[in-house]
Amino acid sequence: MKPKRSLLVILAVVAILGATWSYVLVATPPQKTLDQEVQDVGSQLKCLVCQGESVADSPALLAQQMRTIIRQQLQSGKSEQDVIQYFQSRYGDRILYAPPRQGFNLLAWLVPIAMLLGGALLLFFVVRDWHKSSRPAAAEEVSDLANLDEADLKRYRQQLEQELAADDPLFARTRIEEAG
Amino acid sequence: MYFSDLGSISLILALGFAILTMVVAVLGATRNIPQLVASARRCVLAVAFFLLLASASLIASFLTHDFGVSYVAQHSSLSMPWYYTTAAFYGGQEGSLLYWALMLSVFSAVFVFTSRRAPSVLVPYVMATLMSIEVFLLIMLTTISSPFVRLPAPLPNGIGLNPLLMDPGMLIHPPILLMGYMSFSLPFAFAVAAMITGKLDSDWLRSIRRWTLAAWSIQTAGLMLGAWWAYHVLGWGGYWGWDPVENAALFPWLTATAFLHSTMVQERRGMLKVWNLGLVIASFALAIFGTFEVRSGLISSVHSFAYSAIGGYFLAFLCIVIVFSIGLFIYRLPRLRPEQEFVSVISREGSFLLNNLLLVGITFATLWGTLFPLISNAVSHQTLTVGPPFYNSVDGPLFIALLLAMGIGPLLAWRRTTLRTLWRNLGIPALAAAICAAILPLAGIRDIWPNIAFAVCSFTAGAILYEIWRGVRVRHSHGEPYPLALYMLINRYRQRYGGYIVHLGLVMLAVGVIGSHFFQLQTDAVLKPGQEINIAGYKLVYFGNIDQKYPDVEVVTAQLQVWHDGQLQEYIYPGRQFYANFGNQPASLIPITTFGLTDLYVFLDNWNGPAQATIRVFINPLVPLVWYGGLLMLLGGIICWWPEKRRQRIAKSIPSEGVPDPIGAGAVSGGEGTLVVARHAPQTQDTETDPVHQQANEEGVII
Repeated sequence: MKPKRSLLVILAVVAILGATWSYVLVATPPQKTLDQEVQDVGSQLKCLVCQGESVADSPALLAQQMRTIIRQQLQSGKSEQDVIQYFQSRYGDRILYAPPRQGFNLLAWLVPIAMLLGGALLLFFVVRDWHKSSRPAAAEEVSDLANLDEADLKRYRQQLEQELAADDPLFARTRIEEAG
Repeated sequence: MYFSDLGSISLILALGFAILTMVVAVLGATRNIPQLVASARRCVLAVAFFLLLASASLIASFLTHDFGVSYVAQHSSLSMPWYYTTAAFYGGQEGSLLYWALMLSVFSAVFVFTSRRAPSVLVPYVMATLMSIEVFLLIMLTTISSPFVRLPAPLPNGIGLNPLLMDPGMLIHPPILLMGYMSFSLPFAFAVAAMITGKLDSDWLRSIRRWTLAAWSIQTAGLMLGAWWAYHVLGWGGYWGWDPVENAALFPWLTATAFLHSTMVQERRGMLKVWNLGLVIASFALAIFGTFEVRSGLISSVHSFAYSAIGGYFLAFLCIVIVFSIGLFIYRLPRLRPEQEFVSVISREGSFLLNNLLLVGITFATLWGTLFPLISNAVSHQTLTVGPPFYNSVDGPLFIALLLAMGIGPLLAWRRTTLRTLWRNLGIPALAAAICAAILPLAGIRDIWPNIAFAVCSFTAGAILYEIWRGVRVRHSHGEPYPLALYMLINRYRQRYGGYIVHLGLVMLAVGVIGSHFFQLQTDAVLKPGQEINIAGYKLVYFGNIDQKYPDVEVVTAQLQVWHDGQLQEYIYPGRQFYANFGNQPASLIPITTFGLTDLYVFLDNWNGPAQATIRVFINPLVPLVWYGGLLMLLGGIICWWPEKRRQRIAKSIPSEGVPDPIGAGAVSGGEGTLVVARHAPQTQDTETDPVHQQANEEGVII
């Protein structure tokens, strides 16, 4: 692909992606069914009598009863968040399947993000240091490449072909056949 | 004499030889006495022999139903089929420890047999490190956690194996996963040896990378088998629950993945030595941490059958490992200067740095989530859970970013890439992403996150396939038919194209995970005979329950018809198995029917008499891709790992000037551009440093 054409392709791609994603964001998502809502709420809640299972997943009796309650409350017009809060007020934070984003537990969410940003920043500085200290060397090499004249290039190309041929019998054979 | 006595004696002898190896190997290396090193090698083989003998004794005790042995009585019974009886070997704590020790000694023996390939300076220290790990395991096996302890009086029959473990998947999942944990010992041993001797050259790098690749492949297999087992046995319609024990198995895998990538930077450019050593040590430490976490029961988990008192010992061992490694590290730091400098961020090594940042970020976030309940409990006395919703929203975006980096990385050349080359290479993958993003809303998928995630997947898949296609096309233009060209391409550049196959597998796996995460449907219903469940075009008609009683197991199943597209597809029998000694832990029988790429997953929740059942139905789209992707990753890992034949290269070297050129001078038609420069580069065994390939790659052209 020619550089100009490839740039056009990239622009077109960016346009398509932008258009699609903004359309998807703006357009109202199709209405969730009650089953899906129940599952969404249930997967945010921990099954208290089970080991490592959410209310949505667990086959335990308590979880079944809770799913029934979730269904009833959603049917009566409560929002998903309301239902979760209902359970949180009854059982406390331990019913939540992920730490609540408030108070001390906010740390659970913030620390990984902070570490990642810190890591990225560190990487940035380290790379910048490397970059700075190596700039003269890089410039040298570029001029090195530019000074190679056509004769050199030709010699290198030949050598490359021969190395390929020495390495790979099939390659050599076909080339020889072509030549012959 | 019982087999168990033979086992006890073997363990003590193995311990003796392991200690002897450590002493003799270190003496041989420091005093420079080759005979001592040679005898250390033989000691390693002796350790392997005695551990094999001990394991054989334990298996013999199981197969002869020697219920005088406490471990045998607790983990087997007369009615178990022979294969579960044999597998009960690693079904409990003591046995799995013995299995671990056995595998470590077998791998050490393999190392001894292949040690001619490793730099000889390192060999004694590698052996000493491996055997010190072995000593730790053997001390536990001979003192507090022996599988050969005898009961005062033999029992008439054993208790039997935990029903969750009585599953074909269980025959292979734990041994592979334990082997995976264990296999991180070898890269660690190489790292320690390198730090002691200060020899971190390219030979060292090749050895450690091959062992890490082996460990990585085994761990991949273990993780995939674990997911498969969970999916087929646990009955909640998923395969990965971010359970602490699952996370523990993921940690070393993630850091090993990071190592396998950053090590390429060290190989090509001589940079990142410190970082790479850190990753190897972290992988081993995290493997030990995982074991500690599983055994200690510190963090509540579904894998509760593994709790025991040895957790503390693993914690102590972990501390020793960390302190020892950090000490060596600081001692050796002055020698670990980079050989070359960084040229540009937009380069292959730059993308590896990004890859490492993301992988380590995921490791840290997951570790933090796993440990947070402990921290929270200590600080605010709150019991809380960090479950899948946390990991999905923290790790999910990071994994998507990683997938994107995986697509961009191969498009970049080493050292630096001009923007022009980048644009040129980006075109086709970006187009794939755009087409995918545009088509999905038309197909009814209107959520933004799956759309972005699928678009990223198609970008990466497009980039990899395009890259492979370019290579195949160049070979094809030299007269090879396409299938042969593909084969030769992969065969000649195994690391590179094996890596691409791993990446393709991961993309496939990601598509499966995204599909089943965002588009799983489930419903449950209490059914009477004749009633039906309708979900997503599938109709299940319930007929009634069947109760079968066997001497030690009772099986309750519900009978259902599956209808799809107006046709009866099949009868299914979801059910439960009750083992006599584990009445409160019924194992599930879960029929999973695959229609195209969608799994119909049916679970018997509850039942009442012969004519009422609570049935849960999951529609899991794209889950089969998870398994295919896993297989592909494993295949790619094996291709990368597969030993090179020592090529008889350059025997007939370049003809001197004056000799007629048989090929005919001319430019190689190398895809989009032409090869510009092929400078003299040292010929090595390593395909990745193949001068043609490397140079071509720098120009953005693949041969």
